[in-house]
Amino acid sequence: MSTNKKPLSAEAKAVGERIGSLRDFLEFLEENGQCITWTDEIMPEPDVRNIAVAAGRDSMNGPAVIFNNIAGYPGKKLVLGVHGSFTNLALLLGHPKGTTIKELFYDIISRWGDDKPLLDFIEPEAAPVNENRLTDNFNLYDLLPLYRINEYDGGFYIGKANVVSRDPRDPDNFGKQNVGIYRIQVQAPGEFTLLSIPAHDMGRHIMAAEEEGVPLKISVMLGNHPAMCMFAATPVGYEESEFAYASQMMGSPLRLTKSGNGMDILADSEMIIEAELMNGVRTFEGPFGEFPGSYSGVRKIPRFKVTAISHRNDPIFENIYIGRGWTEHDTLIGLNTSAPIYAQLIKDFPEVVAVNALYQHGLTGVISVKNRFAGFAKSVAMRALGTPHGTMYLKNLIMVDDDVDPFDLNEVMWALSTRTRADDTIVIPNMPLIPIDPGAEVAGKGHRLIIDATSFMPPDKLGSDSKIVTPPAGPEIDEIAKVIQLLQNGVNS
Amino acid sequence: MSTCPRCQAAEEKIRVEHKGLNAQGELVWTIFHCNACEFTWRDSEPAISIDYDTREAFFRVDPEKPYPVIMPPAQYK
Repeated sequence: MSTNKKPLSAEAKAVGERIGSLRDFLEFLEENGQCITWTDEIMPEPDVRNIAVAAGRDSMNGPAVIFNNIAGYPGKKLVLGVHGSFTNLALLLGHPKGTTIKELFYDIISRWGDDKPLLDFIEPEAAPVNENRLTDNFNLYDLLPLYRINEYDGGFYIGKANVVSRDPRDPDNFGKQNVGIYRIQVQAPGEFTLLSIPAHDMGRHIMAAEEEGVPLKISVMLGNHPAMCMFAATPVGYEESEFAYASQMMGSPLRLTKSGNGMDILADSEMIIEAELMNGVRTFEGPFGEFPGSYSGVRKIPRFKVTAISHRNDPIFENIYIGRGWTEHDTLIGLNTSAPIYAQLIKDFPEVVAVNALYQHGLTGVISVKNRFAGFAKSVAMRALGTPHGTMYLKNLIMVDDDVDPFDLNEVMWALSTRTRADDTIVIPNMPLIPIDPGAEVAGKGHRLIIDATSFMPPDKLGSDSKIVTPPAGPEIDEIAKVIQLLQNGVNS
Repeated sequence: MSTCPRCQAAEEKIRVEHKGLNAQGELVWTIFHCNACEFTWRDSEPAISIDYDTREAFFRVDPEKPYPVIMPPAQYK
């Protein structure tokens, strides 16, 4: 998928060329006052989560936080909140502080696509991620400063890994190679569970491997180029490459190399954990505080065994705080959730101005549209519900006019206050819905709400002054119709 | 170490995962794992996470009960 591209600004080009890794971005954020280092000694729990939540309160300007003094983890580094604020995203895209969310939305739209990937391949020996390589005696508890993200999580989670897997039925297909973010719970020093579902690309790979009885090898990338995380969390088409999208957004090449188990990986990541699916094994996992702000319960899920680990010198463990919003998760995926819905809508309805699906992965969305006639906004809303993401996520949709910025909630509330009539809302019952919506009556099924907060429009009057045509009718015409039938059947009257 | 804070499995079901040391090599905390319910915890955590009686009863796990299985492997056989 691609949209109309605009050439990148000189500033955006310069940032794209400068940032090749997480380390480069942290340095850049620090120069701009958007990354701080917490040097006081802290305990893994509850201090990490407390500081992460406090830093994440300011969704516009909150900083990334580096921890370098965690009790029991001497010398280890952890970073949270790299994508925790819109200003951090603005800097990544070459914009100054103070850039609005709507400006970022249009910029991401203008860079959206995978038709011009910029990928450089380098030899594994030259890749910084291979500075150190372990092939046995794995201990994830020692290599990474792990901790409990929310107090009732079932264990210690890696929440921001970008996981690379290949379709076991088509292992040479670059496009079908998937990069996704899946929650990973460490279950033993060298084993972990990874949650995916059949609808995910990774879920398809797991099912295919178990059906065929072949090994499923994956590479778990930790501490990645900041653009990679944004696209690993974006549902692109099954045959589209997240690497291609990420490089195109930056306008500069991403450096790839091969992992020890044959995946394409980022050469400049902090760590790669190579692992293999334990076919047929399912292990207790969860609870885990998820993005709707509630825990998803205990389940039995697929388990993986670590087969090798590569890492840079003094690797930085990048993780995420996720739970009741606003959290880094919302900033990380919000604009990349909104962009494809917009791109799909404007194909049919060029009147759509912008789509805000920032809230809980789009459980609530706001769409601004140039209303053509009475009811038009509702038709657009129905189309939005039929987009791939809308099918499972867009639970509440607020439609506003094109004079309302859907990313400015004060303007949205004004439209709701002045342009909504209580009898002009629609509830569509018994629709599909993501199973972890805590508001659903039955997991996986729920109602949809459309609030038309666009201003009054007269109905389309075309045809309102028309008169009905009176065609010839009656026994005489019936008789002629019979004659025509007989003639058609070859019978002479 | 005593029983599992989540499922109260007995001590023999619990294994030591990792010991966190400070720069001087002194023990700071220990990570445990329950082989019955797969709960992982660190002995330095607040009671709300690691004390059976302080934890909300809602989050207890009974490993003998059936729990949902994601992509049940049997369906491919």
